[in-house]
Amino acid sequence: MTATTHRWAAWLRTPGGILVLGLLILFLNGLLTAALAHGVADGDKGYIQETSGFLFWPFLYLGAKHMVTGYDHLLFLLGVIFFLYRMKDISIYVTLFAIGHSSTLLLGVLTDVSVSSYLVDAIIGLSVVYKALDNMGAYQRWFGFQPNTKAATLVFGLFHGFGLATKLQDFNMSPDGLIGNLLAFNIGVEIGQLLALGAILIVMGFWRKTSSFWRHAYTANVVVMTLGFILAGYQLVGFFVA
Amino acid sequence: MFNANKPDSSELPSTGRLLKSTGIAVVIASALLVTVVLPAEYGVDPTRAGSLLGLTEMGRIKMQLAAEAKAEEASVQPAPVAPAAVVAAPAAGVASETVLGVRTDETVLTLAPDQGAEIKLVMEEGARVAFTWTSSGGAVNFDTHADRPGTPYHGYGKGTEQRVEGELVAAFTGSHGWFWRNRTGEPVTITLRTTGAYSEVKRVV
Repeated sequence: MTATTHRWAAWLRTPGGILVLGLLILFLNGLLTAALAHGVADGDKGYIQETSGFLFWPFLYLGAKHMVTGYDHLLFLLGVIFFLYRMKDISIYVTLFAIGHSSTLLLGVLTDVSVSSYLVDAIIGLSVVYKALDNMGAYQRWFGFQPNTKAATLVFGLFHGFGLATKLQDFNMSPDGLIGNLLAFNIGVEIGQLLALGAILIVMGFWRKTSSFWRHAYTANVVVMTLGFILAGYQLVGFFVA
Repeated sequence: MFNANKPDSSELPSTGRLLKSTGIAVVIASALLVTVVLPAEYGVDPTRAGSLLGLTEMGRIKMQLAAEAKAEEASVQPAPVAPAAVVAAPAAGVASETVLGVRTDETVLTLAPDQGAEIKLVMEEGARVAFTWTSSGGAVNFDTHADRPGTPYHGYGKGTEQRVEGELVAAFTGSHGWFWRNRTGEPVTITLRTTGAYSEVKRVV
């Protein structure tokens, strides 16, 4: 066993390694189910196509589910809070992200703006790459200055919201009760985000306490960046192939 | 090296606090799993909370749609299953009232609780059909839509009604029609009257 593989094995045993591995599994699962999805609508989409009228709790649930199982949003969130440990900072950044994605989610669906979901999702993948490089200090090293991290979180939040909006538009929601259902979905997205954030923070909390955190922080961000590139590539190819 | 402030160990939560948080997370997750996720995904609702929130219906519908999709996949599309079984008794006895390509049909079908059915008309692009459908029981879910090879779904409108009267204008050459789902809990009979330019009435589901 070489020293490199040994270091990787050690890294995989840290809480951070487990977290990234978990997200990786979720990510692959997401890619596979997307690839297998067929034309006949069942599951959430089938349910939405079959219902009409204001359904607060079901749409709240769907919003939360979308966030908790949305590996792209979770990866970005992980990147954003990777080096944040004060609750005050975490809430500022998460609020900025929420403001960003809520506004474009509501605006996108209500104005029925149709953007290619592939392009939006590719940008979301790149937002993960951006944040990972940001964490690694790449911009300071390359360009000698630090781009505003709060502004980046807000701006990328806007793109994540467009991503959510294209998914909802694809669901063919009934115009009957649309605004109420949309708001319920949005509230659900925020609740789901808080639940996911809670879980991520606990794992990161354990990891941050070990000395391995600073040793493996760089590698972890490289892994996150890799996943971001895969996401972006997958969506870009989809844009040209599909 | 990083874009980060290195925290002092006193600034990090204690192990005890982290363990407590983990415990709380497990409790919250279990509670949500039982009261929200199981009802909404599988229609399994041991606490009745899901029914209260309307989530159990979601799970029930999902399970049913999944079962229907599976059944459909299993029956390897046997050549057109005698559509005449349920459909198309030309109205008022007068055999096909084909005046200048305009015809009239009355189609009657019965839906058991939770059953779905779909009637499609074969139409040319721009063709018009005046239609009326009524449910003998309560309001049923409907989805008026079209498809053609390459376009699996084109929606005209959907909702929950007992009677709908309107005109269907074909957006493209293909199949255009109605899907109904009976969620009333009682069997209902749906009567569809169509008058216009179409070549065939077929039952798809």
